[in-house]
Amino acid sequence: MIRVVINGKACTAEKGESLLSVARRKGIDIPAFCYEETLAPYGACRMCLVEVVKGAQEGITTACTLAAAEGLEVLTQTSEIVSLRRALIELYLAQAPRSEAIRALAQRYGIQKTRFARKVRPDDPLQNRCILCGLCVRICHDVMGAGAINYIGRGHFTEINTPFYEESAVCMGCGACARVCPTQAIAFEDIVQTRTMKSWSGTRVPLHACSKCGRHFAPAPFVNYARQKLAPDLQQTPLRLCPDCRSREIARKAVLLSTGAAVAD
Amino acid sequence: MDAAQLDTIVERYPGATGRVLGVLEQVQRRAGYLPRDALEYLARKLAMPLSELYSIATFYSFFTLEALGEHVVTVCMGTACHVNGAPRIVERLERLLDVGAGETTGDGKFQLTTADHAFSLTSARCFGACSMAPVLRIDNRIFGYVTPDKIPAILRQFDWEGNHHRNY
Ligand code: SF4
Ligand code: FES
Ligand code: FES
Repeated sequence: MIRVVINGKACTAEKGESLLSVARRKGIDIPAFCYEETLAPYGACRMCLVEVVKGAQEGITTACTLAAAEGLEVLTQTSEIVSLRRALIELYLAQAPRSEAIRALAQRYGIQKTRFARKVRPDDPLQNRCILCGLCVRICHDVMGAGAINYIGRGHFTEINTPFYEESAVCMGCGACARVCPTQAIAFEDIVQTRTMKSWSGTRVPLHACSKCGRHFAPAPFVNYARQKLAPDLQQTPLRLCPDCRSREIARKAVLLSTGAAVAD
Repeated sequence: MDAAQLDTIVERYPGATGRVLGVLEQVQRRAGYLPRDALEYLARKLAMPLSELYSIATFYSFFTLEALGEHVVTVCMGTACHVNGAPRIVERLERLLDVGAGETTGDGKFQLTTADHAFSLTSARCFGACSMAPVLRIDNRIFGYVTPDKIPAILRQFDWEGNHHRNY
């Protein structure tokens, strides 16, 4: 364990730990969009700027990519940082005008409108909320191993979608992309036995039915994927029950066990 | 391009670095574009997601996803050319070549090919020849100080036969 100082407050940290995560643990608020614990820090959104006043490299840098080191001292709310953040927020308001998350942040910083041209497309699959942070692309590829989506195009016209804007053959419908998206840009919908990834060119994925109640509860390709991740002797156990039926089943067995009755599977 | 041709190209890049770009460049040079089935084949062969190849293919302006015409007319839309009348040059080219009038404004990026595949009309950002703005490139030749009225004569150098059914 080492000691770092944030806004004058001493904090303990793991050596090399992301300063952003240290700050969060201490309840120090640093806005951040592209930081996700399961992925390596990436420094893409620039929202988490802080100033290093004592450390190997003094000056303004991103907290997510800043490694905690003994004696490191940072400030998170200097007037310079605040003004940089305000400029970024204005840019994000133009890039993702329909994002609630961006608007809420803008409000906290007292920003009513942006000086930049707002990008509004009525038919945007990402609902005019995408800030191109890349988290969805990375979680889909680096963590889930699917690689269904990626950046398309360049510069001002960059967007995220499936290749050729067609239904993806490799998307498992797991929804990890939607979970990590900082601006809730990704839409999907479950209707009876099909999950439709509305943002990803309408990719459709079948849902797996619970063997007890028959409810379609999880994307079938994802259920298979999860099974492969299990130890070989567990792979045989079919993941056939929905979470509700499974907990009911566990409770039933527990009750039977406590009454000493024989447990029929 | 068939699998055997693609295999030969891939074999020339044994190392992992620079491989993908090298392979795509070869395919673009030989086929004149990146055919979809070639991308799909390469994704399997190089064991990478198709989404990644598609991303690369759409990032670099050198790559195109559709077959280009025999001659490629590239209009510079860089700042200097833009303020010196590039939009009017595009407009005139659209009419002369009879391709997608108006389609060229949308997302700032366009690639239009004549029905007979003789010409493709596309845009680029700054050729580094701003002093001659507005600038036009056909294949590997650069034309400077272009005005809409000079375009027919330029096109004729590339076997353009004109649009006889209309008067300009
Ligand atoms: S859709 Fe969301 S997660 Fe993906 S790049 Fe856009 S903002 Fe980031
Ligand atoms: S969270 Fe640090 S740059 Fe995005
Ligand atoms: S802007 Fe056209 S050559 Fe530079």
